[in-house]
Amino acid sequence: MPPPPNPNSVFLNIPYDEEFRSLYIAYIVGLCQLDLVPHLASEIPGGDRRLNRILQLIKNCRYSIHDLSRVELSVAPSATPRFNMPLELGMAIAWTELDPSRHAWSVWESEPYRLQRSASDLNGTDPYIHDGTAQGVLRELCNAFRRGGVPSVPQMLTVYGFVDGNLTAILHRNGTSNPYSRSVFMELCWLSKTLTELLRYTKPAL
Amino acid sequence: MPKPIYITAPRPTVEELDKRWRISKARKKELQVLVDQFKTQIANRNVVPVNSLKPEKRRKRASAA
Repeated sequence: MPPPPNPNSVFLNIPYDEEFRSLYIAYIVGLCQLDLVPHLASEIPGGDRRLNRILQLIKNCRYSIHDLSRVELSVAPSATPRFNMPLELGMAIAWTELDPSRHAWSVWESEPYRLQRSASDLNGTDPYIHDGTAQGVLRELCNAFRRGGVPSVPQMLTVYGFVDGNLTAILHRNGTSNPYSRSVFMELCWLSKTLTELLRYTKPAL
Repeated sequence: MPKPIYITAPRPTVEELDKRWRISKARKKELQVLVDQFKTQIANRNVVPVNSLKPEKRRKRASAA
């Protein structure tokens, strides 16, 4: 039996593309504000087969978020549907079935009823609908995870706005244009958490 | 609306997170510049860190809230 998962860890199953950037930041900021620890497939060092690494990450995490809002045809001439996110969702579902006390998964979408068209086998599963906006992601994270002492959505948006606004500087310092790279992801987590702690002990002046 | 998950696990400690994110001291120093900018930004929005208040002011604020 593998060791129990970290009780605060959340595996983020999201698309790694430019259009998703703001929602990616919102997930990181929101989870850090909820005192949860986000995990991304890109953070695992190479060596093993990618699928094995992802499965190991799912096993190590108590929760997983599967954002299917960009399961669509690519714009390239040979338009191909993106199957990575549903594949990883399937892995998480299977793992949960084996031992429900170790893992809980949730599906996230941008539009209501879209999931019924893209994956009708999931009928009966209520997805979290984030409307394709950062504010929607933060709102739904607060709906999905309840914990005492959590900041309000406007407070979360303050941190989100700042982190998002400084992403270019962080990318530049890391010598990359890829916000999903391991080093950038770790720094985004650290910054989000530090700003959250700062805001936690701050109240409007009288 | 899906059922929410109530998290009762202890919050992760700073040491635990530091160990996980493994940000070097030099890099933290650089990122601290951004943290200071954020501090200035929230100070300009007329908010002050609670811990910076004197005890009597803190009590006054608590009773006003």
